Amino acid sequence: MTNDALQTSTIENQQAVCPIIKVEHLGKTFGSHVVLKDIDFEVDRGDVTCIIGSSGSGKSTLLRCINLFETPDSGRVLFHGEDIVHTKNPDKYRQKVGMVFQSFNLFNNYSVLKNCTIGLTTVLHIGKEEARARAMKYLSFVGMDGYIKARPKQLSGGQKQRVAIARALAMEPEVILFDEPTSALDPEMVGEVLSVMRTMAESGLTMLVVTHEMGFARDVANKVVFMDGGVIVEEGAPEEIFNHPKEERTKAFLAGGNK
Amino acid sequence: MFFERIGSILQNYYPHILRGVGYTMLVALVGTLVGLVIGLLIGVFRTIPTPRNKALKVCKKIADGILSAYVEIFRCTPMMVQAMVIFWGFALLNDGRTLDVTFSALVIVSINTGAYMAEIVRGGIISIDNGQFEGAHAIGMSHTKTMLYVVIPQALRNILPSVSNEFVINIKDTSVLNVIGFMELFFQAKDIVRSNYLTFETYLLVAAIYFVLTYSITLLLRFVEKKMDGKKDYQVQGSQNMDAESYAIEEGGRRHDQ
Ligand SMILES: Nc1ncnc2c1ncn2[C@@H]1O[C@H](COP(=O)(O)OP(=O)(O)OP(=O)(O)O)[C@@H](O)[C@H]1O
Ligand SMILES: [Mg+2]
Repeated sequence: MTNDALQTSTIENQQAVCPIIKVEHLGKTFGSHVVLKDIDFEVDRGDVTCIIGSSGSGKSTLLRCINLFETPDSGRVLFHGEDIVHTKNPDKYRQKVGMVFQSFNLFNNYSVLKNCTIGLTTVLHIGKEEARARAMKYLSFVGMDGYIKARPKQLSGGQKQRVAIARALAMEPEVILFDEPTSALDPEMVGEVLSVMRTMAESGLTMLVVTHEMGFARDVANKVVFMDGGVIVEEGAPEEIFNHPKEERTKAFLAGGNK
Repeated sequence: MFFERIGSILQNYYPHILRGVGYTMLVALVGTLVGLVIGLLIGVFRTIPTPRNKALKVCKKIADGILSAYVEIFRCTPMMVQAMVIFWGFALLNDGRTLDVTFSALVIVSINTGAYMAEIVRGGIISIDNGQFEGAHAIGMSHTKTMLYVVIPQALRNILPSVSNEFVINIKDTSVLNVIGFMELFFQAKDIVRSNYLTFETYLLVAAIYFVLTYSITLLLRFVEKKMDGKKDYQVQGSQNMDAESYAIEEGGRRHDQ
């Protein structure tokens, strides 16, 4: 093991003092286009943080930097106090940081059940039986245990997203990142996915959610981050952000885009 | 009578013909499979993300260059010429002793097919949506595991028509290996004609045999394609209701298996 932050023992020691994820002065540029500027924020254990902001403000890029799908140009991403931007083993880190995508990204070549067990058996090296039991536990949590034999292409969008959530949960990560998990769904399917996420939040999971669902952010999040033009304009409790925004840009965004 | 003559060829020369069919199919099958493996290895290697480390980056560049050279050289020269160059090239290096002809034939068809397969596999991998890669990386799969469990199975399904096409081409193209004395079907036909002088009848018969071989392979692989697509329907089992209270997610969602 190359990265101490990923060792359980180290995690135990640092847990009391460190947030799970801390982003410091993060910057990201695509070509000459500055997408993220000096981003600072942290995710504590049990936090449900919602990131809101208009299209193109850099929300997805921020999540992708945290997940190391993009390499930040400047600043640090700390996982339990350890900088992981240049870690030699991003795969090990990603086992502990789940991700749910707008476009689901279920494995087309596997059944619903195999989608949830493949990571357990091949990445975590858990035995077949145990993997199956664990996958079933999370599939029943999202209400998809009846569909274990189905292929992704046979499911509706909402069902796919619930399976994708079960897949992420089955890895039992320390935090799950969501990038607009309901944006690709028909309105009647949004509810079923949000309800699953709400239950996850209530059971104490640490979640970082990019969303346009203001109702969800208001009711479920304990912290809301408003981004615009690649910077964090304002962050705070949902009550503060939604009812008493301090910044003009936040007010304008909420007045325009509030659902 | 025409048909009697065909019948007599079959009767008198069936051992030749069977041996020819056997050699042809052996080389076509092994060549296609080994070629596919070569193509997969090259395809996977080429898609490894560029390493950050400078030295590794240079190594990868050089290896990529060598692989491209291999692919282009074998794609852009006739297999008949490749066969002569490789077969007699080995002989030259070994004081005139030639390699076993069947072994040479297997090697030549394999590396020739490998060059085509590398391109086919590359196309197959490119056709897989980036979301499949990201979905796999997001649960901590390495590049190799992502390829092995997620990308290659889907790419294989997509390229199966091209692979069976290569197989069919190989069945026909092994005939050029008669130049190194490989005793495949066409070589046998030449042999038969030398003793019976029934040139037209013999080659017509051999053409029909080639057709039967290639067409039955085509049908067989189409059947495999259908099989790979799996069942069209599935069964819903048990309850479909949300069942959130039946257990609690461990606090904080932390792993607890260690
Ligand atoms: N790979 C890339 N290459 C170049 N530019 C990119 C890339 N990814 C994102 N961008 C640019 O970065 C900016 C921020 O994109 P990002 O996807 O992070 O926005 P977002 O806040 O998630 O928007 P949305 O709400 O539409 O999803 C956009 O202007 C986009 O064009
Ligand atoms: Mg986005």
